[in-house]
Amino acid sequence: MSEFPTRPVAQLVGSNGPIHALTYSSPPSTYILTGSSDRSIRLYNPTSTTPSPLPNSPPTGRLIQTYTGAHTYEVLSLSVSSLNDRFASSGGDRTVFLWDVTTALPLRRLGSASTAHSHTGRVNAVLFSGHDDSLVISGGHDTTVRIWDVKSNSNKPVQVLSDAKDAITSLAVPQNGNPEVITGSVDGRVRSYDIRMGRCTTDVIGTPVTSLSLSKDGKTVLVGGLDSKMRLFDRRDGTCLKTYEHPGWKNTELRVQSCLGGKERYVVVGDELTSEAAGVTGTTSQEEGKIWAWDLLTGKLVATVPVPWGGDASNKKVTIGRDGKEKARKNVVSCIAWKEGGFGNQFCVGGTSGVVNVYGEL
Amino acid sequence: MSYKRSRAAYEADLTTQQSPYVFFGTPLPPLDPDVRDDGSYVPIWKQEVRDERGRKRLHGAFTGGFSAGYFNTVGSKEGWMPSTFVSSRTNRRKDDPKSAQQRPEDFMDEEDLADAEEDRRIQTKAAFAGLGSTKNDASRATGLMGLFRATGETMGEKLLKKMGWKEGQGIGPKIRRKARLELRSDSSGPGETYLFAPENVPMISFVRKTDHKGLGYGGHARLTPIGSSNKNNGASHSDDEDDDETMGGFGKPRYTLPTDRKKKKDNKPRGGIGIGILNDTGSDDEDPYEIGPKISYNRVVGGDKKKKKATTTINPAVKAPLFRPSKKTALEKIALGVRKCHDGRLPLDGFVFGKEPDALTSAISSEGKYPPPQVPPGWVSSKKPKSPAGGPAEFVSAADAAKASTLDPKSRAAILGEKQLPGKSVFDFLSPAARERLVAATGRADLPQAKGEVPAEYALSEEERMNELLSRVPKLDKETAVAAISRGVSSGAPYADDEKKRARYIAFLEYQAGFKPTPGTQPPKMNSEDWLRELTEFYNCARIFKPMTGFMASRFTTSSTTKRGSRGEAGQKDILSKPPPKPQDPSEEAAKLGMFGPMTRSVTDFYPTRLLCKRFNVRPPEHVQPDEEHSTKQAPGGSSRFDVYPDQPVFRPEILTTGGGVGISRESSNGEGSGKSTPAPEPAMVIDPSRNEALEGKRAGEDVFKAIFGDSDEDDD
Repeated sequence: MSEFPTRPVAQLVGSNGPIHALTYSSPPSTYILTGSSDRSIRLYNPTSTTPSPLPNSPPTGRLIQTYTGAHTYEVLSLSVSSLNDRFASSGGDRTVFLWDVTTALPLRRLGSASTAHSHTGRVNAVLFSGHDDSLVISGGHDTTVRIWDVKSNSNKPVQVLSDAKDAITSLAVPQNGNPEVITGSVDGRVRSYDIRMGRCTTDVIGTPVTSLSLSKDGKTVLVGGLDSKMRLFDRRDGTCLKTYEHPGWKNTELRVQSCLGGKERYVVVGDELTSEAAGVTGTTSQEEGKIWAWDLLTGKLVATVPVPWGGDASNKKVTIGRDGKEKARKNVVSCIAWKEGGFGNQFCVGGTSGVVNVYGEL
Repeated sequence: MSYKRSRAAYEADLTTQQSPYVFFGTPLPPLDPDVRDDGSYVPIWKQEVRDERGRKRLHGAFTGGFSAGYFNTVGSKEGWMPSTFVSSRTNRRKDDPKSAQQRPEDFMDEEDLADAEEDRRIQTKAAFAGLGSTKNDASRATGLMGLFRATGETMGEKLLKKMGWKEGQGIGPKIRRKARLELRSDSSGPGETYLFAPENVPMISFVRKTDHKGLGYGGHARLTPIGSSNKNNGASHSDDEDDDETMGGFGKPRYTLPTDRKKKKDNKPRGGIGIGILNDTGSDDEDPYEIGPKISYNRVVGGDKKKKKATTTINPAVKAPLFRPSKKTALEKIALGVRKCHDGRLPLDGFVFGKEPDALTSAISSEGKYPPPQVPPGWVSSKKPKSPAGGPAEFVSAADAAKASTLDPKSRAAILGEKQLPGKSVFDFLSPAARERLVAATGRADLPQAKGEVPAEYALSEEERMNELLSRVPKLDKETAVAAISRGVSSGAPYADDEKKRARYIAFLEYQAGFKPTPGTQPPKMNSEDWLRELTEFYNCARIFKPMTGFMASRFTTSSTTKRGSRGEAGQKDILSKPPPKPQDPSEEAAKLGMFGPMTRSVTDFYPTRLLCKRFNVRPPEHVQPDEEHSTKQAPGGSSRFDVYPDQPVFRPEILTTGGGVGISRESSNGEGSGKSTPAPEPAMVIDPSRNEALEGKRAGEDVFKAIFGDSDEDDD
């Protein structure tokens, strides 16, 4: 993939609300899991497509399975185990569910409102970790990170990390198996818990951290914050290696995921699409979201890719806001996932449109 | 023959029909047969006491019970409840903003309130009470003139009082004289002298001459102190005057009374204290000391004699009036500001002073008397107005005239032949910010544009401006600047994400360290204010790199003085001083400045649980959190606990149980020198002296001991 793809090759439809979480299955990353605000998780195969009935629209990927009945609120985060047999999901109902992929039934519920050891706020991030994916780490609005042991039947978390002063928004664990947990919090700090050394390294970012993306070697981390800047940090000494920003790209309010992609050549991020940001761009229509890609090394903007609304766009564009008035819904591109942890040739984005656009090669 | 109904018949009548034999008024309704209302006796125990609202409020001891107290006396069902003590230490009564002031009504019961209500009466205000009375004449008399004349304390009096003058004193410097303690002190010896205020000089008042007597002739001056007003009376009292002349030795002031008063006095002859032989009421006309023939003089030429007879019946008591105004009325009158008579007394009750015409009123009132001279009908002024053209020229103020003029300053200058001023207004020299303030203050948006020019003679050269600007940049001491530079070149330097800014920062540091004469040039995009702000930011940034010795010192805040800027606007900002910002987390500040690295990084200990370490398949760190649950569960099993240490020999738990003493003894023998006497290992030895497994068996690895007994305090750091 030498050039940055500009058109979606497939669309994944079926969600009845905004997409909050996207993840590829573990390598070879054939499938895509989406967590939606309609309380269900959907499993797609983006490669086996059927042509879309709509003109000028990419073909739609095949919906394989829908996982429903467990979450009572929106699904906010997903994580697939390395063996692809289970996955974990967390949501606004303060619980973490462990699912069996094939039977589409929840295996366990890790914490709920009824037990004393559960999260007391919505769970923003969930992640498999540990040896043989024996741990599930979840962090949420109650500022705690809870580490659950999925091997035992104890409903008590193995450990609760409550250093953060504000909500945990993102979690990361190195892919190379280092016993570390990295948390990003709204209090503007990235904390790296080194289990082997028993050290917690706190890096002050200065702005609420909404996105964490580790490189494959685990030496650098891409931190997205609410100051319209993304920074690549050297984890060894905490220095900022590069800052990625653009006057047209604004991220001050919403959680917009960023990731390293294209064999760690690009820094890819969605678009918050606040009004002034939409006005600046001009190339796309107001409600159309975009993907922004920077070159990792030079820090220069490589591409901005428009994200079509997708699906049957006409009836979805109006929503009812908190004030009870109808307003045009913007296509905020809030979540992004790159195949094979940033090394595949495909990535997908999702957002408020509820349609996942798949870019790259099928 | 009287017919008497039987009582039964009478009662039957009362109950069946309305009262019979009623000729006037409304007959009473027929009696209710159930109620006895015939005035028959009801025993006391049957009588019920009810209050005005019909409630049964007087209860017998057996019927009322405790509620008697509640309903009749106490305000709560529980009776008297002691109010709970509330400390007033913090909640002081006097601090209470609405501390209720107690009124008399708070202590009055219903009856008292009703009484008080009854006592209130509507009555006319004093001023309207008697429309014909003369009580308030003194205040009423001012009338219209009261509007023009200052009553009460005049401004002059106020000023004098401020200067130390008091009523009754004279005006002027204090004079030195002897104290007059008694009025009739004959001791004229050389007493001590004191400073006294000068005596009051009576104001000379000129009496308008309205009579036809000769100048200087007072007439009956002694008898009629108020000469002018008693002109007529003088004649009518000729008899008494005769007596007075003979009785001059009494020294009593003589009063002549108006005639209407006399009649009253005739009806009520006054006697009493002080009436002796000299003013016996027995004979009206006789003078007991009169010796000579009773000659009556008529002192006024042409006065008629008839009046004499009429006045001879004057009560002698009136001659020497014993009238003494009661104190109360006197005080009242003083309060009202009533003038006193010539001798210091108040006028008689019911009398009013004649009003002396003052200048203003007389001028007004005498308008009819002395009209201004009439202008002769054919008179024409010999003086002519200067401007023949206009009619009556209206007064035009200078401002109006200026407004009417169409000339502007330049044309006026041209007319006057003045040299042209440089064609600039104040606004040409104002800075835009200053103009903004002017606009805000005046609320006028149509002010001319501010150009911010600097007059040529005041204009600073580029160099001077730079110097002026740099003088406002806070100074960094050299070692700090050097330290900052040395940090700046290495990684983790500030402004790593902005190359240009970083270059400017380095240049600033070099300037502060004295390596360069200037901190670089001002970037073209910035104005000087922005640049100054950036330099200050650099200063704050570099200050962090203060060497360590100075760092400790900087923990103490030094007193700071607000720097007055050379410009006016800087001074303006000083007025609007903001409170100093809260000291922020230095790491947050560093993050804001982009100085990610050691400044923003902090490392703390983190205590993973054993199970967590196990699940991550790592050896637990030395300070691992004790996990009782799992250690107790898994220790008997033995194997599962230690399988994370594949390189360690299997270590039996029973060895550990005795190994506690061994470990301690080993430490103490290592010569730590701790004075603590540890329990000696002898007891363990005593148990099995022949063989000690702990000593003879292979000692477990150091890590095991540390993992089990290890204290992070000992071996950390």
